[in-house]
Amino acid sequence: MTFFDIGLSVALVICVAGVGFRVARWRGKWASPESSSASQWCFGVASLKALVLDVLLLARTGRTSAFRWLAHALVFFGFMGLLLFHALDETVTAFFFPAYESTLDPWQFLRNLLGLMTLVGLALMAFRRLWEKRLRDLTRFQDWAALLVIGGIILSGFFLEASKIISPAVFDRMVEAYFIPETDRDVTALKAFWSHEYGVVFSVPYPSDAETLGFGASLNEDSCVDCHADTGTAFVSRSLATALGPVAFAMNTSRADQVFWYLHVLCCFVALAAIPFGKFFHPVTTPVNLVVRQGRRDDPEDMLPSDGGRGMGMDACTRCGECSVHCSVAPAFSVLGNAMILPSEKLMALRQIHAGASLSEATLTAFSEGSRLCTECLRCTEICPAGINLQDLWIASKAQLVSQAPSPNDLMRNKTPSQRARVFDDLCASSVVPAVTGLADDSTSYWACVQCTTCTSVCPVVAVSENPSGDLDLLPQQIMNLLRMGLKEETLGARMVWSCTTCYKCQEHCPQNIRVADVLYELRNTVAARIRDGGVRCSKKGESQ
Amino acid sequence: MKYAYFPGCKIPHHLPEYGQSVQAMCAALDIELIPLEFSCCGWPMRHENELASIYAAVRNFVIANDAGLPIFTPCKCCFGHLKYAESRLAENADIAAQVRELLARDGLSFSRETAIFHMLTVLDEQVGAENLRKRAAKPLTGVKVACHYGCHALRPGNVTNFDDPLAPTVFERLMQAIGADTLDWDLRLECCGYPLRGRDNTISEALMRKKLAGAAASGADVLATACTYCQLQFDRERDALPAGDSARMAPPAVLVSQLVGVALGLDKRELGLDGNHIPWEWSGF
Repeated sequence: MTFFDIGLSVALVICVAGVGFRVARWRGKWASPESSSASQWCFGVASLKALVLDVLLLARTGRTSAFRWLAHALVFFGFMGLLLFHALDETVTAFFFPAYESTLDPWQFLRNLLGLMTLVGLALMAFRRLWEKRLRDLTRFQDWAALLVIGGIILSGFFLEASKIISPAVFDRMVEAYFIPETDRDVTALKAFWSHEYGVVFSVPYPSDAETLGFGASLNEDSCVDCHADTGTAFVSRSLATALGPVAFAMNTSRADQVFWYLHVLCCFVALAAIPFGKFFHPVTTPVNLVVRQGRRDDPEDMLPSDGGRGMGMDACTRCGECSVHCSVAPAFSVLGNAMILPSEKLMALRQIHAGASLSEATLTAFSEGSRLCTECLRCTEICPAGINLQDLWIASKAQLVSQAPSPNDLMRNKTPSQRARVFDDLCASSVVPAVTGLADDSTSYWACVQCTTCTSVCPVVAVSENPSGDLDLLPQQIMNLLRMGLKEETLGARMVWSCTTCYKCQEHCPQNIRVADVLYELRNTVAARIRDGGVRCSKKGESQ
Repeated sequence: MKYAYFPGCKIPHHLPEYGQSVQAMCAALDIELIPLEFSCCGWPMRHENELASIYAAVRNFVIANDAGLPIFTPCKCCFGHLKYAESRLAENADIAAQVRELLARDGLSFSRETAIFHMLTVLDEQVGAENLRKRAAKPLTGVKVACHYGCHALRPGNVTNFDDPLAPTVFERLMQAIGADTLDWDLRLECCGYPLRGRDNTISEALMRKKLAGAAASGADVLATACTYCQLQFDRERDALPAGDSARMAPPAVLVSQLVGVALGLDKRELGLDGNHIPWEWSGF
């Protein structure tokens, strides 16, 4: 077996096995409520429309940004063209065009054009990732890896072609196989012609007089043109060959054409083997997701049995980051720095949760915060160029999370009364945790409080409770009193703090202008901040002691 | 009359009929709404982190300022929080400095004040009750409407400057302008309970039931809302109650934009009336 056969086989095995593994993981661990066993895999008019508009013409990509459409279209059309008509030329191109030769036009010209399109597209993509600040922060190894591997294929291809153009060894091989010289003058003339017209760099200079070149041209006409167009139409490679002039001799002696052939083929094998990994998978899943679901948001459970539709949707993410660029709650990311507030990042963790992986407590806490802050505004779902039903994923995962990573609200509410009384022990303040300071920490905020109980008597929450002190632990005026005495920790666990409906009646009616409702908001912020900054739970403190 | 349209986060997925009816009503009243890509108003974040919630609001001010437009929102929680952020910036130099630093980090800057309006104020001050009365082709004569004010626009009154926080009149004035009879019911200024959804569903539901019972006892045909969250509570959340529950029989909640739209003679489909889960019998009006 040759290097090519072995490499191709290994890459194909990795690709097929990996794709199989990932597709198998689409069946998630979430129980699907009212999951219908009848899967609706029908290929109708809508699927056809999605295939043409969204997959082939990238219509969904174009909806958000013309720049991104251009970049993606250049890479998509450029690379697909190369894949079909260059990589698979013996199967595809030769089938449609029996007279196909890779070194004839238009193929030679098109190969350069498609390669250049792909390179320009990749450059635009890299530029976008560096230019857009939020995207720059979110870009991971796999994003650059995808750009580099595809870019590597194209660049090594251009270098391969250029090194073949300048190579006398390649010239000699062709002459030996296809040219029957009558005299030595024939070879000299042909070499002179190819050297001056087609860019071959021989170790010795050949005559450039009109007579020799004219004779060389006629020999070229007789023997070469059936298979070789002017290398000038390979406009990128030929320009590259010219630019490489100063090092051409060194390249030729070290057989750079063979080096670049190995590099080019190796890049292609790496890309093939990488398909099941990270975003390399999206050229497979995104079209499938678009054709099967057409970006619809109805009945996700019906799409595939066993939650497979959700798994497929999550794998269709291309990590383009459009969702996070346009996310409604992104300002919270700017302040809190938790990347899992942003949809593209949340999705990465969600994919692991869906596959049954157990995440670290810190990751779960961050995910839970991102999940809580999401307002389900639908923007990411409408924007997603891959047509993923993100909205369904957010809503479904919120329900899943409640038990795994409780919110500050659940954490406080799930405590027994005695635990709540000790909450200041449990969520101990630490010097590393920046305390939320504000009204509640400033006892002068309550100097004017005369404990008139107006706040409590106008409170609608107190009013609907049959047993306020039992249901709510502390009443508003009692909370104000504790704060006045500097006993903030004792108030944090009170259910009144967590069951305040934020209607501001207390504050509006307070005859002493005490900001009762603002204080209650602030107390919730205090607990949220402690959980966010690592909790510093007493259980941990206990272990360390 | 041209405004930057600030629908808030909940309308697109959770309450599309509000967006639909607001757009239809405004088009009929020559109020031009310009859609801009606003972020969340910040209110839902206020339970977690005040600075994040204020920064979210201020980013919206920047977006509206860049377009040179005042903000128009149909949501009272969005309105209330935007006003709150504005007042916090004015009263607390520390927060203002932090916000400026955050803006600079995101490549933004904020210079002048942004005018923020709730839809009811625009209807009252820009369109005017008298004008509305003239344009009401199909006045809601005989319909008894209980106006539900919504907390976050009313209070704290010194922050929102919406109406008299203890005795507001704007909602009733508008309803009377379109021919409806308004009721003076006890609970019109009380909370709907929605902010406690997912945090304390028991109290949230108790608040909703109390309010609905109050509206029913006052003899109302319709509970009028002018806030996304209030409508979610009185329509969507109520619809989750079991069939036959007495609260379902209480007056249906109808959005102010739907009521005004019906009076203006707009098509009920255009007003999203078929989207309301607790149907308004009068929708064929």
